[in-house]
Amino acid sequence: MRTVKTLKFKELESLLENIQKPGRYINKEIGTSSKNLSRIKDPCRIVFTALVFPDIYEVGMSNMGLQILYDIINRSSYFTAERVYSPWLDFEERLREQKVKLFSLENRIFLDCFDIIGFSAQHEMLYTNILNILNLGKIEIIAEKRGKIFPLVCAGGPAVVNPQPLSRFMDFMVVGEAEEVITPILEKVKACKKNCRDKKWFLKEIRKIDGVYIPDFYKFYYFKDGRVRSIEPGYKVKRAVVSDLDKFNIVTTPIIPSIKIIHERFSVEIMRGCRRGCRFCQAGITYRPVRQRNAVSLIKQSIEGIRNTGYDEISFLSLSSADYKDINYLVNGVLSNLKTENLSISLPSLRLDSFNIDIAELIGSGRKTGLTFAPEAGSQRMRDIINKGITEKEMIECAGIAFKKGWEKIKLYFMIGLPFEKYTDIEQIILLVRKVIYTAKDILPRQKLKRFRVNVSINAFNPKPFTAFQWAAQNSVKTLKEKFDYIIRNLPRRNVKLSWTSPYRSKVECALSRGNITTGKVIENAWKAGAKFDNWTDCFKFDAWEEGFRKAGADIDFYTTREIPEDEILPWDIVDIGTKKQFLLKEYKKSIKSSKLQD
Amino acid sequence: MKEVKLRFKFIKRSEYKYLSHLDITRIIIRAVRRAGVKIKYSEGFNPKPKINFSNPIPLGIESLAEYADLVILQDLDAMDFIDMMNTQLPKELKLVKSKVIASKTASLMSDISVCLYSFRLKTLSPGKGFKDGFDGEMGEKVKSHPDILNSILKLEFKKGYNVKDIVFLKLFGYAKIFKERNNRIFKFNNFFGFFQDLIKGYNVRVDYVLKEEMFIFKHNNLKTPMEVVN
Repeated sequence: MRTVKTLKFKELESLLENIQKPGRYINKEIGTSSKNLSRIKDPCRIVFTALVFPDIYEVGMSNMGLQILYDIINRSSYFTAERVYSPWLDFEERLREQKVKLFSLENRIFLDCFDIIGFSAQHEMLYTNILNILNLGKIEIIAEKRGKIFPLVCAGGPAVVNPQPLSRFMDFMVVGEAEEVITPILEKVKACKKNCRDKKWFLKEIRKIDGVYIPDFYKFYYFKDGRVRSIEPGYKVKRAVVSDLDKFNIVTTPIIPSIKIIHERFSVEIMRGCRRGCRFCQAGITYRPVRQRNAVSLIKQSIEGIRNTGYDEISFLSLSSADYKDINYLVNGVLSNLKTENLSISLPSLRLDSFNIDIAELIGSGRKTGLTFAPEAGSQRMRDIINKGITEKEMIECAGIAFKKGWEKIKLYFMIGLPFEKYTDIEQIILLVRKVIYTAKDILPRQKLKRFRVNVSINAFNPKPFTAFQWAAQNSVKTLKEKFDYIIRNLPRRNVKLSWTSPYRSKVECALSRGNITTGKVIENAWKAGAKFDNWTDCFKFDAWEEGFRKAGADIDFYTTREIPEDEILPWDIVDIGTKKQFLLKEYKKSIKSSKLQD
Repeated sequence: MKEVKLRFKFIKRSEYKYLSHLDITRIIIRAVRRAGVKIKYSEGFNPKPKINFSNPIPLGIESLAEYADLVILQDLDAMDFIDMMNTQLPKELKLVKSKVIASKTASLMSDISVCLYSFRLKTLSPGKGFKDGFDGEMGEKVKSHPDILNSILKLEFKKGYNVKDIVFLKLFGYAKIFKERNNRIFKFNNFFGFFQDLIKGYNVRVDYVLKEEMFIFKHNNLKTPMEVVN
């Protein structure tokens, strides 16, 4: 029988000497709910689950998805969930040097002692960290080489909607929303453990559960150049969707981190899905349909959450918060009930067109954090192509409202390298920023103008699976560099702070997101060549990825700068995302038409 | 509304010793909010709770004596405050004392100038060498080090109780310029590196450090921040 081995506190202490931010590796935060090991009579009856976020604590703890699963799992008397995050470089070095296996936070259980390890893959640039964590836990990274059933290794999250890149490493993946499927899956792990079943039995048992993709049960046939020829069997994995969101309350007793993390606030998901149809946006498709939570019960839960946590900031989350039908009622209700709490409200993902005066008034009454808007493109032509239904007039008006209400900081998100983009479209980005600055100069008093700041964030367009642009080509690194250069040269410097993502990183991200079975080998090679924390500017190593592709015999351009013919079988066709491929194609064609209209 | 200023003393132990001063500040403020105690906030654009802590303790050191002054907007008994807070805090971070103080009480940061640390030292080769050394040459070196000149007021040296090779040492760290109005607190980190190096030469290492108390120097006497507000 396997025993649950743990690292003692004393041992942890000796590992923490001279480690940056030791608070990342200790437990005892308020709100943890894993089972107390000393009270577990028979470990054979308990399913030990490791919930892994493959980035550092500060990033991982800011993610709501993992807290939701943690809450669901720990409510059951048969399951226990513990958290694992990527150790930072210094602590990884220490663990390797001292030959100590990676362990969970709560009871410091060694990773290989868990029954099931679930990774949250929020984006593609975390793939190498997943391998690194398995390796730090002394777990074989390649699924078929893991003979024994336990630990089972699985993954979920936005970066597995195309399950191909991680197939090499995972026993199974969950595509879609895990709330309703996590319990049936863990029930099977429990049965498996109790009756000493093997992996094959387990995988067969869970194959019918919505969202479950089991790489072992599918066979992909490829042409020599890497295109998919056929997939067997023909039936698709249906994305798991929670039909009634109100059945799952928001987590009102989340774990409260002890150290400072990225988003230190009480998060409330108000709506899932987005009714806009931006053609580049993957979440807009993969979180369909739009589901609103009930506002009355949200107010109640928000108040409860603020009282339980003591946070002074509440964040209403959704893909487009101002589209939530009862947003004014909700914000009003929460604020009027928590008047004395000095609460500030944040509404990420506001849209310039929907920033109405009422909301500005309401959220403006507390502390003013920056306002973030995503025009995505500078020109009307480009916004029509991507279907971002928003005009310049609306945007400038909204910026004006924000300045009048006292905001001095505004963040604008743009994308370059969008399909059918011309230099005139990029010029328009610069013009739009200028217009925002003029608006501020008109409205803000001189004193405030000194502090006024526009943060302009520019990212390269990545064609993503399950979007209307999934067939489109990404710009080459050379072209992207030229476009970035153009912007850097022409953007006003005063009051503006520009940030952008390396085009090399965007290229890798694109290649991974449109990846196929070979991509698994690429990830493995890149990781072996030293790639990890690829989302961290200082850590990203393009050479490692070049080596990764070369050793796998793959051409990175095949995945990135190639326009995919519409009749080609896509590696992610195995997933039924809920939106028909025909619809996406129709949207793609509309964008082509739109680009020609305004030529 | 009535303003009440509370001074409280709390411990910081075990896992919580790895949390920074700012981490502890946030944890305490959230606990006050959870306890439902009405905090007074500063005026202005970015209101901050009216709370002031004693000087930061180095990361990784346990403490029995951390202090904070908090202004609240309700009439609350100091004992009730302790109870309300302790239901919100883990056992590693608990309030042990609290007192209502005058609003004009001098701030902890400006008042505290002395810290009491105790060290448990482990000798790697048991014997009398360390004690003799400490009484003689080593003690002199400690006292004459430029960085800690005037810092050591008193050294209590105890022989280990049951285990021969463990000795206990109490050290009062004084601020360098404690006579001046602008007091500075004893800088533990400045001393600690030097001290570790020094005792290494005597085959001794520091096994455990505990911050036991902090003092305010008043009328040539050492008073704790709680005593001073009596």
